[in-house]
Amino acid sequence: MTTAALEGVRVLELGEGVSAPFCAKVFSDYGASVIKVEKPGSGDTSRHLGPFPNDEPHLEKSGLYFNLNSNKQSITLDVSTEKGKALFLQLLESTDVLIENNLPSQMKEWGLDYASIAEQFPDLIVISITPFGQTGPYSKWKGTDLNAFHLTAAGSRYCGKPDQPPLMHGTFSADYFGAYTGIAWGLAALYGRDLIGGGQQLDVSCAESIAAIFTGAQNIGGYAQDGKWETRTGVGMPLAAPATILPCKDGYVWMIALTTDQWHGLKNAMGNPEWADLEMFDDMFTRAQNADLIYSMMIDWTMTLSKQEIMDVVQENGVPSTAVFTVADAADHPHLKERGFIFDMEHPALGTIKNMGAPIKLCDSPGGPVRAAPLLGEHNDIVFKEKLKISDVDYGALNEAGVI
Amino acid sequence: MNKALPLQGIRVANFGREWLGPVAGQTLGFLGAEVIKIESKARIEINRTLPPYAEGIQDINRSIQNHAGWAGNGSITLNLTKPEGRALAQQLVSHCDVVIDNFSPGVMDKLGLGYDALKAIKSDIIMASMPAAGETGPMKTVRTYGMSLSSITGLDSLTGYFEEPPTPMENAFADPLGGVVGAVGVLLALHHHKRTGRGQKVDFSQQEGIMQMIGPAFMDYIMNGRIAGPIGNRHPTNAAAPHGVFPCSGDERGDERGDERGDDRWISIAVMNDKEWQSLCQAMGSPDWAMDETLKTTAGRLDNIDTLHEQLAAWTKDYKDDELAELLQKHEVAAAPVLNIPDLLNNPHYKARKTFIEVTHPLGFKETIYGPYIKTSRTEIDVHPGPVMGQDNERVFREMMDIPHDEYQKYLDEEVIY
Repeated sequence: MTTAALEGVRVLELGEGVSAPFCAKVFSDYGASVIKVEKPGSGDTSRHLGPFPNDEPHLEKSGLYFNLNSNKQSITLDVSTEKGKALFLQLLESTDVLIENNLPSQMKEWGLDYASIAEQFPDLIVISITPFGQTGPYSKWKGTDLNAFHLTAAGSRYCGKPDQPPLMHGTFSADYFGAYTGIAWGLAALYGRDLIGGGQQLDVSCAESIAAIFTGAQNIGGYAQDGKWETRTGVGMPLAAPATILPCKDGYVWMIALTTDQWHGLKNAMGNPEWADLEMFDDMFTRAQNADLIYSMMIDWTMTLSKQEIMDVVQENGVPSTAVFTVADAADHPHLKERGFIFDMEHPALGTIKNMGAPIKLCDSPGGPVRAAPLLGEHNDIVFKEKLKISDVDYGALNEAGVI
Repeated sequence: MNKALPLQGIRVANFGREWLGPVAGQTLGFLGAEVIKIESKARIEINRTLPPYAEGIQDINRSIQNHAGWAGNGSITLNLTKPEGRALAQQLVSHCDVVIDNFSPGVMDKLGLGYDALKAIKSDIIMASMPAAGETGPMKTVRTYGMSLSSITGLDSLTGYFEEPPTPMENAFADPLGGVVGAVGVLLALHHHKRTGRGQKVDFSQQEGIMQMIGPAFMDYIMNGRIAGPIGNRHPTNAAAPHGVFPCSGDERGDERGDERGDDRWISIAVMNDKEWQSLCQAMGSPDWAMDETLKTTAGRLDNIDTLHEQLAAWTKDYKDDELAELLQKHEVAAAPVLNIPDLLNNPHYKARKTFIEVTHPLGFKETIYGPYIKTSRTEIDVHPGPVMGQDNERVFREMMDIPHDEYQKYLDEEVIY
């Protein structure tokens, strides 16, 4: 008999966009029950961000919302009103984990910041995920994923051409990264909650997570000691070659061969061309010094083959190079289909539509989206009337007043 | 002293290597788990051999570029190429709650350390394997480096200047992030174990963990058949403008601090709605170009995004990044300086949050690593600098596993504990 890993865990989400919703989605993937609190009328901002079928905006057809909110229940509640706040606090009484991504000043204004609720809910775990965090001079700043990402030096150090702007990842990278760290720490805090005597707040700064464990990790020790530091080159890994993205017949390949064995494998895959046969090229640093030459010769070869053909032949020769999958390559990949990672869901407004599975497979308690993302306020009746036992009359009045 | 560490009492055998594996261990270690990394002089990991070295002395225990990512892991040395080494590894697992590895599928099986073998040794063991593309499926044997792993998720195809070829992220973003997601897998299994008493196998495909990040472009493909390319610094669902990184003036103050802030200075600005656009206009002093009616709506700004960004860049370029960020924040516009490596140490926000801390390595030298990057209101995080290779041998083999002195000595002599 299999049971979900987080069965019985009760999550309340007061978040929008990507970071907090993704965090709560992963909890829901593994069986936690998640009630998502949305603004009456307009709901989560991601309902407005798209993408939409045929680019036609529709509250119930946002792809981003669909992807980030499966398995959840949606209620609408205006927590800025006195009655709304009271209902929210009532929901907290049966909540293990609150996941939110509002500006710290906003939570304070609502009277829902951790300091204000900790005494009443000593066992509550609060995962607060914001671009900059709850403390420090920028905690008052307004920020988005873009601002957080570039506060990490990830773009400046590692992505883009030297004389051009540093680049981000092409997605909400900092939001996802921060959310993942919040999930890990949140699960740990929940696991040991009784052991350590109660709940607590986890203050996640998306920027700080990346700045610490990605950019800072391999740069800060050296900089602090020697004052030396480096910046982006635009060409991949400058100290070794090949280690870059090259064009091919139908796209791009990530060509990487560092050890001598890998280089020999690559030579073999390329049909042992004469230019590559120089013994000095057995050393990756020497290859790096001649990267321009090597890359131009390799391109002559890569342009004759498709990315998949190149990936197949180099992998056969023990080289860890890969095709640069487009979104379509990834979404349609037989490997991911066979693993059940890409699968169909039914959604009332979007119809039958593909989604991604859970990020991790637990063999004895598999997870993943089962119910499609909720319509705005879809679970108002269940939550307010059945769970909170609000009478029909009061419920009507709350609706009338715009609280729900 | 009660540091309120929620994972105290959990013991982890971490066979994970290089960057991803140690970060998975560290994530659990920060929160109180006892993490024993298994490594060997028979196959020294590349991350122990990369410069820079502490005090410039080349040594496998002094490569400070990996110390931040490895801190929190203990270390024992065990030569898994020898049968006695593999037998000791099995014996170690009987004292552990969790086993982690990031080998290719099948390697742990060949070492006699596959899930079935370990389950026979400890019936409720949790084993989290973290291969590139999972334990099953036609691509399960794919070889990748952390740097290229993101290419099989679609993420790399979105990274680059707008409508230009993809630009590589020049380090393995997927490694430390994958380590964190691997730890999530372990924690999920621990929750399950706590309720049911049962262990299980966790199959974490790095590909599937990282691919979550391309959600927006994935959905656009599913719904509209559109295959996204690199988008520069534009909004991932093309729903906001301006949205980018804009030049700022070079900073001579950097020379005084000795951090060479130099000319590579930029500010990130994201305007998410029409109200914020009005605020930005005010901050700029309402220049004529910005008063254009067509720019009053997001749709109009998106239609004119190139000229809009050019005009904005012409305005930002005379400002210092941090001063301009302050100014824009006063007008409630989301803006922040684009930091470089020295900035991470000098930035007032990270200083206030103690993101980077000076610690004393077990060998006695001082080094700077990151501390708890998430702030916890009850728990006082344990940071364990290091590890020195084999630092926990005596404690683990002699005390925990109760190996008699003579036998232990024999293992040392025969390069089993090595």
